Amino acid sequence: MSATTATAGSVPGPAKNQKISLALGRRRHRTNLIIKALCVLATLIGLVLLASILLTLIYLGGSGLTLNVFTSVTKPPGSNGGLLNAILGTLIQTSVGTLIGTPIGLMVGTYLAEYGRHSTLANSIRFVSDVLLSAPSILIGLFIYEICVEPFGGFSGVAGCLALAVIVIPIVVRTTEDMLQLIPPSLREAAVALGAPKWKMIVLICYRAAKDGIATGVLLAVARIAGETAPLLFTSLGNSSALGSMTTPMSSLPVTIYQYAGSAFQDWVQLAWVGALLITIGVLATNILARFALRGGR
Amino acid sequence: MSEAQGQQGSFGGVRARATGVTMNETRIAIRDLDFFYGSNRALKNIKLDFPDKQVTGMIGPSGCGKSTLLRVLNRMYDLYPGQRATGQVMMDGENIIDPSMDLNSLRARIGMVFQKPTPFPMTIYENIAFGVKLHEKLSKAEMDERVEWSLTRGALWEEVKDRLNSSAMGLSGGQQQRLCIARTIAVRPEVILFDEPTSALDPISTLKIEELIDELKHDFTIAIVTHNMQQAARCADQVAFFYLGEMVEVAPAGQMFTAPREKRTQEYITGRFG
Amino acid sequence: MQQTVILPMSSAGGRRISIGDPIFAGLAFAAGFFVLLLLGSIILSLFFGGMPAFRAFGLSFLTSATWDPVHHVFGAAVSIYGTLLTSVLALIFAVPLAFGIAFFLTELAPDWMRRPVGTAVELLAAVPSIIYGMWGFFIIVPIMSQYIEPTLIDTFDGIPVLQDLFAGPPFGTGLFTAALILAVMVIPFISATMRDVFDTVPAVYKESAYGVGCTTWEVMRSIVLPYTRVSVVGGIMLGLGRALGETMAVTFVIGNSDQISSSLFGSGNTIASIVALEFPESPAGSLKLASLLALGFILFVISFIVLAISRYLLRPRLKA
Repeated sequence: MSATTATAGSVPGPAKNQKISLALGRRRHRTNLIIKALCVLATLIGLVLLASILLTLIYLGGSGLTLNVFTSVTKPPGSNGGLLNAILGTLIQTSVGTLIGTPIGLMVGTYLAEYGRHSTLANSIRFVSDVLLSAPSILIGLFIYEICVEPFGGFSGVAGCLALAVIVIPIVVRTTEDMLQLIPPSLREAAVALGAPKWKMIVLICYRAAKDGIATGVLLAVARIAGETAPLLFTSLGNSSALGSMTTPMSSLPVTIYQYAGSAFQDWVQLAWVGALLITIGVLATNILARFALRGGR
Repeated sequence: MSEAQGQQGSFGGVRARATGVTMNETRIAIRDLDFFYGSNRALKNIKLDFPDKQVTGMIGPSGCGKSTLLRVLNRMYDLYPGQRATGQVMMDGENIIDPSMDLNSLRARIGMVFQKPTPFPMTIYENIAFGVKLHEKLSKAEMDERVEWSLTRGALWEEVKDRLNSSAMGLSGGQQQRLCIARTIAVRPEVILFDEPTSALDPISTLKIEELIDELKHDFTIAIVTHNMQQAARCADQVAFFYLGEMVEVAPAGQMFTAPREKRTQEYITGRFG
Repeated sequence: MQQTVILPMSSAGGRRISIGDPIFAGLAFAAGFFVLLLLGSIILSLFFGGMPAFRAFGLSFLTSATWDPVHHVFGAAVSIYGTLLTSVLALIFAVPLAFGIAFFLTELAPDWMRRPVGTAVELLAAVPSIIYGMWGFFIIVPIMSQYIEPTLIDTFDGIPVLQDLFAGPPFGTGLFTAALILAVMVIPFISATMRDVFDTVPAVYKESAYGVGCTTWEVMRSIVLPYTRVSVVGGIMLGLGRALGETMAVTFVIGNSDQISSSLFGSGNTIASIVALEFPESPAGSLKLASLLALGFILFVISFIVLAISRYLLRPRLKA
């Protein structure tokens, strides 16, 4: 019964020392504020970094953005070259890579969602797909080099497309499986109840129901491979003045940027920035498009 | 059976119907049916007849096996490994649960409408045409005619005839369910199974669909699972009561709700459980 | 209105021969199997491609810091050191920032701010790595060499250990800068994972903590973080995996030296950067190329382990 006068009402028990309580409260409050401020700071840093990257691209790349960039092919320094063949090369390799990788990824995703589900084989395939998804892209380049360049004695456009396709596959697998799993069982049963065989249920109903999500996945894959440099260094490498072809080295924007940026020639460095700006615009636009397509579809 | 004639019992304030006088031929005859979820025996020794062009209601508390039985009739359980059935489910001299049964054409003869309306992500026209295209080759004119016929019989034609090419997802819940019914009718089945078709709908839509079922039975044999006893009383000609995987009793609707034979039936009907 | 139903032609037994199902199922299965084959082929091709190097140098390949193209003696130590150091350092920078962003976006930011700011942070992940390389080289390196590195060198001058760590001519390039660039690249991955798992904490836990008077930070520290601890670590490992394999961002700024430097500001190499830089001068069939492939194999093994751990930690778990 040695309670001080500071007990709360008639609640029995040890007293609450108001002074300590308030002091603790102030200190906790202060800690809370400091942490909150640090978090705001962290977010600001993140935004500043993004702004810095974008502004650098716009400023340094925009200043070199002329029509010539789109109409001239790459030329030796001082010859007023452009990036036409590099742009075309990227467009071609990205498209072909997506065209090869998407159907394969789609079928694997379908297998995981509709056939294998949680079997050991399906779990292994899922795991392997995740490994491929996060594998360093330079290793994919080395792999394609080993099987597609070395045996045939030269870099080629098709090798570049294959390397990009390998990167596309796991992205599409993941999206396809996720989207197919979202489809309610009642929709599948309704199709089956009308007499549809399983493959028609999948192709005519499930794919249709999931098409927005799958398209988003494909777009994200496109955005990813458009900017990839390392795998192309070992496969399609690049051409100094022409587009190249599927059986010869094919130029691409990222590889050209890499070659130009590290060079000692001012106009080449300028062109590297222009190329960087173009690629970033393309990649970010595709990304934003994919996000809003996904949200709109829901 | 003749006791049921002319008997109009009252149940829950709803008049139960008097059943048809004569027994129609049997469309589906179930004998000695057992059903297993893995090692769990969910249906025990079922014996039940579905009279042609009549409505058979199936009632019982949750988990009693009525939906399970319904899904045996169109072999829906085939989708899920670990589920199997033994016994005889005879239709037109064939045992439905025999492994050699062609499932796709079976399901063209026995259609199903589900609890949750499931419009396909396509236009209204394409929804109806989907099932038909699986089994028949129709010209455009014939398909148009079939679509119109199905939607008319599904009590939806007037509401959607001007927007057949708009997405089915834009319909209201009740309309979507009628679309599903029209879609099922479109393949000209002999039997239509309804698995709690109105439990997700508002009262007005429910009424519309019950009226629809009343009309449909002139051309189709109907089985309806419902947890709503008044609905069974309103819609069904004969009612089967299930409990814990067994069929406890089957009787004409009028008799079932006024003078059931079994004690368990009586307890369920008066609300003792379930 | 009786129309006859025309059922498709069926054979005598009543069973319509349907080949669509087996074909489609076969295709799906074959595709799945193909993916397995693909990974197997990648592992095998890297391993067998690097075989000559493994055979020539044995296990000392891993520990030798020599990289001598003239005398054909190669060792992985410098690149492995650079890879691990830059990645771990990058995490040290990235994790607090990523946490701050995740905390801000899940608990502190007003609703209208969440989507735009969240999207902006995630756009950082979409920027191609070669852009980071250029930005790092042309923007960050000069800042490092003119302001940050001299300041740090002076600050730690005279303090044992630290003065050697932060020593050396302030070129601006080097391991430290590479780690910084990697950190920026990795922040969005880690913060996205953190945001996702922070959002999974059931509201009742947080509400009961608020109910006894906890501040926002205290709720985070004593409820959210312990609840999501394992997934947070998984997300960090995921970021680590990304950092380990990053090529273009690092190649521009790491300085390309074949020696292990004692200072963080010194130049070095990562496995990815040395493979990218030395590949053009590696003739087919040479020991040098084999060494690069062997390095690739080592990188793959490291990434694989990190990824497997991350996946294990991030698997959906039944909450009690």
